[in-house]
Amino acid sequence: MTTAESSAATGRDLRIPFGLALMALACLAPLFLGNYPLHAIIIALIFLLPAHGLNLLLGYTGLLSLAQAAFFGIGAYVSALLAVHFGTPFYLNFLAAGLVTGAVALPLGIPALRLRSTSFVMCTLGFVIIGQAIAKNWISLTRGDMGLAAIPKPYFALGPASFTVSGTVGFYYLVLVIAILATFAVYLIVRSPAGRNMVAIRENETLAESVGIPTWHYKLAVFMISAALAGLGGSLYAHYLTVVSPLTFQMYYSTTMLIIVLGGGAGTISGVIFGSLLFVGLTEALRVAPELRMIAYGFFLLGLVFWFPNGFAPLIGRFSSFLEKRK
Amino acid sequence: MFYTVIEQVVNGIVSGSVYAIVAVGMTMIFGVLRAINFAHGEYYMLGTFGAWFAIDYFDLPYPVAVVIGVVATAVIAVVVGNIVMQRIVGAPAEAGVLATLGVALILQNTTILVFGGSYKFFSGGYIEPVTLFGFTLAEQRILIIIVGLIVFVGLELMVTYSRIGKAMRAVSQNIECCAVVGIDVRHVALWTFILGAALAGLSGVLTAPVNVSVYGGMGELITFKTLPIIIMGGLGNVRGTFVAAMILGIAESLVATYVGLQFRDTVGFATLMLVLMWRPHGLFSAQARF
Repeated sequence: MTTAESSAATGRDLRIPFGLALMALACLAPLFLGNYPLHAIIIALIFLLPAHGLNLLLGYTGLLSLAQAAFFGIGAYVSALLAVHFGTPFYLNFLAAGLVTGAVALPLGIPALRLRSTSFVMCTLGFVIIGQAIAKNWISLTRGDMGLAAIPKPYFALGPASFTVSGTVGFYYLVLVIAILATFAVYLIVRSPAGRNMVAIRENETLAESVGIPTWHYKLAVFMISAALAGLGGSLYAHYLTVVSPLTFQMYYSTTMLIIVLGGGAGTISGVIFGSLLFVGLTEALRVAPELRMIAYGFFLLGLVFWFPNGFAPLIGRFSSFLEKRK
Repeated sequence: MFYTVIEQVVNGIVSGSVYAIVAVGMTMIFGVLRAINFAHGEYYMLGTFGAWFAIDYFDLPYPVAVVIGVVATAVIAVVVGNIVMQRIVGAPAEAGVLATLGVALILQNTTILVFGGSYKFFSGGYIEPVTLFGFTLAEQRILIIIVGLIVFVGLELMVTYSRIGKAMRAVSQNIECCAVVGIDVRHVALWTFILGAALAGLSGVLTAPVNVSVYGGMGELITFKTLPIIIMGGLGNVRGTFVAAMILGIAESLVATYVGLQFRDTVGFATLMLVLMWRPHGLFSAQARF
């Protein structure tokens, strides 16, 4: 699974300088990128959050879930409703979106996680379908198909100082900071003993249970964390696009997140970052021709399954170990 | 009051038959390939488009259009089966999900790209109403029920008595043993897939005169309705799938009348979740087969 990491460990560790260079590049990006590429990167970074969640669930714990779009949608709606009805500042909406989706995931996860493989996948898909139906039909709250419009741009009020993040560049830095924090949080989870236990559950659940890992609690906790991450992503999405509609609950978003995780390389953090930049950022350029974009996604998926079952990230691993050998 | 209930039940049986014809192919594909075919609704869409194309461009009569729709679906299924589905045999579960999602995206969007995304009018079929036992039904709906029964009986006979049918059952029980005794697993998988896709296409052509509108995204809804049915019926279980399809069809039409039309499309997944709480392996299986 972790070709990139193990090869880096044997040779000289290139990850820290490489990571720092990437961060510096990311901070300077607005200087040399136009608004449109910046917009593509923003979308990619927003999708990075639910993708990190799915990676914890699928890549580390071994549970294939399609529910990320449902939690993404719930997060977007929670944030939008708070902002539109109560005018609360952004950081409150953002945190509320994460907390509410995490809390909603508890009653949904308890029955769903009792199911195995196929039934679990279907159950999680059902969350998306039912979520969309609720968003469409609870008209007094969600305004149905018309959606919620005019969601304010992120607005901070800390004591006397208050400011609004407007414009692409401002939003870019906001999303970048959140994405880096989220990545760091996921890194801490994965590196902790808890992360090892998750991998143990993925590899052999019965064995994990027999050595005393409380597998049920772990699965539930990971399901909630992944939902909360999706909710945070949804909140950013709502504030960035300033509209939400029932279409935020879309099977297509779950597919996208699945492509990011499996395409980048499930079970690696760098893979997911790479995946979201590649699959969301690059294909955002195809937005003018949505059908072509979907067809490209379809072929990506097939190529992934048949030629790169470990995702595209191992390619980078091979490349970097090639560089190390030359030294 | 009572009359309305019966009328809705009859309507439910019609849509149940439609779901049954689609779902039975999907469940057989699952039985043999161990893969949930997320693209299954797209073959339904392709069948409809084939027939619509034949009627709209060449002015062919409906029965010919039915044949063209089914054959066109089968031809595409041969291509997809050879390139994609055969390779899924024995692959991990995620591979099946991803590959069929990919196929669904490609088929759906290629259709939209070629024919445009707008709604099209399907003008064929037998939509004259007839009165039978005091109920007024469109002829097409009666045809759907009859075809549904024929497909069910035909499949039962095929699976029980024919050589390929027995091979399908054997493969769905144990792939390795089949390979050992000389059954060509990939061949069986391919034919099961083509049969399932063609049935979905048939279902699409039959329903088109009732639904009237034809559009590229129509398959997705069918996929989402079929998935709960095959899980409830017990994956790979033909009879269970038929019963589950009827239950869903009737439940949907009752919900549409007495609760609200907008809730119709969620009945399937809502029922599925309730059923799974109570019987995690579906309604008709004593234990999980897969």
